[in-house]
Amino acid sequence: MAVSTVYTVQALNSSCSISTPTKTHLGIQQRQVLFYSNAGKKTNKGRVRGGEIRCAGDTIVIGLAADSGCGKSTFMRRLTSVFGGAAEPPRGGNPDSNTLISDTTTVICLDDYHSLDRTGRKVEGVTALDPRANNFDLMYEQVKALKDGIAVDKPIYNHVSGLLDPPELIKPPKILVIEGLHPMYDQRVRDLLDFSIYLDISNDRDMAERGHSLESIKASIEARKPDFDAYIDPQKQYADAVIEVLPTQLIPGDNEGKVLRVKLIMKEGVKYFSPVYLFDEGSSISWIPCGRKLTCSYPGIKFAYGPDSYFGNEVSVLEMDGQFDRLDELIYVESHLSNISTKFYGEITQQMLKHADFPGSNNGTGLFQTIAGLKIRDLFEQITASKASAPLEATKA
Amino acid sequence: MATFSTSFLGSITDVNHIRSPLLSHKLVASSLCFSGQKLQLAAVSTVVEMGGGAKFKGTHMREKKLTDMIENKVTEAQEVCAGNEGSDECKLAWDEVEEISQVKAHLRAKLEHEEDPLESFCSGNPETGECRIYDD
Repeated sequence: MAVSTVYTVQALNSSCSISTPTKTHLGIQQRQVLFYSNAGKKTNKGRVRGGEIRCAGDTIVIGLAADSGCGKSTFMRRLTSVFGGAAEPPRGGNPDSNTLISDTTTVICLDDYHSLDRTGRKVEGVTALDPRANNFDLMYEQVKALKDGIAVDKPIYNHVSGLLDPPELIKPPKILVIEGLHPMYDQRVRDLLDFSIYLDISNDRDMAERGHSLESIKASIEARKPDFDAYIDPQKQYADAVIEVLPTQLIPGDNEGKVLRVKLIMKEGVKYFSPVYLFDEGSSISWIPCGRKLTCSYPGIKFAYGPDSYFGNEVSVLEMDGQFDRLDELIYVESHLSNISTKFYGEITQQMLKHADFPGSNNGTGLFQTIAGLKIRDLFEQITASKASAPLEATKA
Repeated sequence: MATFSTSFLGSITDVNHIRSPLLSHKLVASSLCFSGQKLQLAAVSTVVEMGGGAKFKGTHMREKKLTDMIENKVTEAQEVCAGNEGSDECKLAWDEVEEISQVKAHLRAKLEHEEDPLESFCSGNPETGECRIYDD
């Protein structure tokens, strides 16, 4: 199943670097370029040396807009899991760093680009949601540098002390995720993104997790709403995918909010991104999988799929209302979805099982976050493949 | 590892067949229970009472500090906002509450799903005060 092509390399582009091969993870096809030299010294072992060549411009940038703080959100954990490996804070560095690094992915928290620390914001009278509290020039410069294969010294915003700490060194990764409140706010940064996602989890405020009462959580949401609506929400129009959480329609008069209706809104016409669909692409479908073949418990599961217009963009919307109760419901649903970019049958179910203790594992949030992760992997592989074939095209001409 | 055709449309009878290969993958979650086909994919949202507390004294102190900070900031916000809702000070006060709440939520989530944040530091410096094992 391995495909190898032999090229003769004339000269290495100076923007390429060579590193020793890293472990290949299941689920990611690493393009390994092995080189053999017949000139020059033999190594001690008398064998040829091989390595992986990475050239500048290999980095893919994903923007993730979310209001749950950085890097530790469930979505990020699912994403890094799809790529393999665990993402951890940089070892030996500032323990309050917001950055997460795995073998393939680096997640940068955009709060690190705050131009005003907590005291500064108090003096100026702006919340963290306000663009005036952020240095978009620096954000653009550094994301561009990383995308071009240049390491940067990125500031650290310490959420505990509310101060800006000394910078940490970030090396360009294969996949760079910029997560925070404003990944798509600045046009220049937006243009650097290969893919962008907006996670609308504004209902996901858990009392016990937050550490304060329901009334104060509500008050906090109310107070932040004007800034949120003015600066954060409009980014939805730029996102390639939006995950929206709404109250269920399956339980009349429900106010417990345990069962959720989740929408995955996918932009049409995005390069390397083929939206997920049900049964017949471009048509409108309403589907209740529960029936003779599949028994579900109350309130069941309901899907909808169809084309729509969203902020003036052509989109496809996949919606799930209800909860998964059993493994066979999950696999049944998975087997009927198309364009899910899995590498083997049951991969979505396997990923959901792997993180069964994460919030949203039994409803559309977990399902769509997992699908989004697989779509990003697919995008990454397509972009990498197209970049690899480009030089060959050039030599043909 | 078994491979399946991606164009396969599953029927219920085939689901049973699929179950064992999926199970053979390492399952990290401890909250799964299998009886026949029943699987608990319960959303775990109340992390407070579950296991996975602080291992080191330093982490426990931090948790306590964050809890106190949240309490103080909530009180402050309620005071500032009393009769003054919609003002910049009110927005700011609740924004600060939100910021610290998120830090605490992340710390809890990390303790729940991963290791104590001080783990890597303490493995190299077990004698420091923060690295004393925390006993309830």
